[in-house]
Amino acid sequence: MTAAQLPLIATLPLLAAALAVLVRRPAIQRALMLVVPAGTAAAGVALLVEHTHTPVLAHHVGGFVPGVAIPFVSDSLSATMLVVTGTTTAACAAFLMATGEDRYRFVPALALMLTAGVNGALLTGDLFNLFVFIEVMLLPSYALLAVTGTWRRLGAGRLFILVNLLTSTILLFGVAFVYGVTGTVTLAALAGVAAGDGRASLAIVVVLLALSIKGAVVPVHGWLPRAYPATSAGIMALFSGLHTKVALYAIYRIYAVVYGAAPAPWVVALAVLAVTTMLIGAIATSGERRLRAALAWQMVSGVGHILLGLVVFTAASLAAGVFYLAHHVVTMAALLLAAGAIEHVYGTGRYDRLQGLMRREPALTVLVVLGLFSLIGFPPMSGLFGKVALVLGVSGADAAPGSLGGWTPAAYVGAILIASLATLVALQRLWVDVFWGPPMTTYRPDDQRTGRGQPTPVTDDVRVSGRLLAPAAALVGVSVAMFAGAGVLLPVAQRAAAGLVQLQPYVEGVLGR
Amino acid sequence: MILAGTVAVLVTGGVYLLLQRSMVRAVFGIGLLSHAANFVLLTSGGTNRRGQPLSDRTGVAEMADPLPQAFVLTAIVITLAVTVIMLMLAVLGRNDDTHAMPATGESRDA
Repeated sequence: MTAAQLPLIATLPLLAAALAVLVRRPAIQRALMLVVPAGTAAAGVALLVEHTHTPVLAHHVGGFVPGVAIPFVSDSLSATMLVVTGTTTAACAAFLMATGEDRYRFVPALALMLTAGVNGALLTGDLFNLFVFIEVMLLPSYALLAVTGTWRRLGAGRLFILVNLLTSTILLFGVAFVYGVTGTVTLAALAGVAAGDGRASLAIVVVLLALSIKGAVVPVHGWLPRAYPATSAGIMALFSGLHTKVALYAIYRIYAVVYGAAPAPWVVALAVLAVTTMLIGAIATSGERRLRAALAWQMVSGVGHILLGLVVFTAASLAAGVFYLAHHVVTMAALLLAAGAIEHVYGTGRYDRLQGLMRREPALTVLVVLGLFSLIGFPPMSGLFGKVALVLGVSGADAAPGSLGGWTPAAYVGAILIASLATLVALQRLWVDVFWGPPMTTYRPDDQRTGRGQPTPVTDDVRVSGRLLAPAAALVGVSVAMFAGAGVLLPVAQRAAAGLVQLQPYVEGVLGR
Repeated sequence: MILAGTVAVLVTGGVYLLLQRSMVRAVFGIGLLSHAANFVLLTSGGTNRRGQPLSDRTGVAEMADPLPQAFVLTAIVITLAVTVIMLMLAVLGRNDDTHAMPATGESRDA
């Protein structure tokens, strides 16, 4: 891939979305929904190969001089994100087809637009353009949240749209402050700008605050466990892999560029927030009595784990954060799709209405067990190396430039362990309630008119079909492959982290100096 | 100073409206807030030290910065699109407090 092809990764999905509106034939729409995210992932792989010898590719749209132009930038981190988000989106698209949700009006076009926004946000090297692409990503989401659902989903849609719009406005304020203080919104030109400049630091903090709300960092996480479970499983899996993770990617990128090696003066606040996010997410999982609501809290917990890598800010901890991010996207989407398969067939995700699925659905049970293992951090899943790398990364926290003291490694590792234990306890509850126990006698099939059916005796032909299970199985396979291939993948994460620690190649690649 | 005052008024009104229960009011609140953001964007171009971009009257250094204006234009377009979506959501569920479900027979226990 050459630098001039970078904008295509964002524009082609957008054109495909337009095509999906014009051409209403299901076969073509379905092909687009699968091919475009898969193509994104393939482009990400090609970029990763490219970045083994060229660390940064930058394209200045319109041929303006660097510094004035709006750049598209790719390095190992953004390429990794492209691979991860592309793969997850393709699996979610396959699930939407299996449940028939892709036949709702405009769903294929909206999903493709979402891909375009995500790809753009990952590749842009400009703060205002980041705002624009985040909006491109959110606009189809507002529609997707409501389009596949019932009246209840409209309420969740309102919550989601209001929170995200308020956040976007805060982001816009932040971008305006940054431009007012520094006179530029090109990220590369902002390198190290906050060192010794309190005003620039404040402006960046406003931007980071907005991104933290989008990323669901405690204490501004409340919207996520409310809004996400209310939408359909396929859409929730799609969002879980894209929205919060793009926000986290942007936090990683902006924090690294603006503060770099000199840690932010408020890094202690970030440390407290990351640890609290991790713990609150893990502990609150116990309080839920629905599959996807419990998983939503696990998403919050994962956000804390990922941020911890940024707090410590060493090459090892950043690499661990990147690897954990990739693992978390894949695992979470796999579990959500498996939960979606249960809900699609048995009509509910409530613990008290599900029981004894272990004997009814052996294949599904294996997938869910592997997914839960991955969340907790047991082998043979990617979660093991995610947590091992994270523990190893944060154990160097006392030697890092921004060290808060000699006690920090113990505190971080302790917090990770407590979060893992709390997760284990909460997920055991899920396991006991849903998969153990006597076989199910009644279930609630979907009702044509109200969406929520009456209790009906379970017959033998009520089974989760292989087609519903395939996307989750594929993602669990990816997670296992990440475990088996950690020796190959961790160096990729380390290269991505090196791009965050060593800013010189990034700045040179974009600005040419 | 006038711009700063305007922004303060707009943000105050926007936050007040956003805290109301009714969706339509929240939409207006978001509208006011994005207006405030647009003004901040305009201000970031240095309105206090720059004038009209008229080539025979203003020197190049004193001309208004075009970049924030382009930002504002983009932001306005996005806000317009989002406002339409939000008003659609406001119209679809008639009861803003959502105590009663619409007459589909759908129960609240899902």
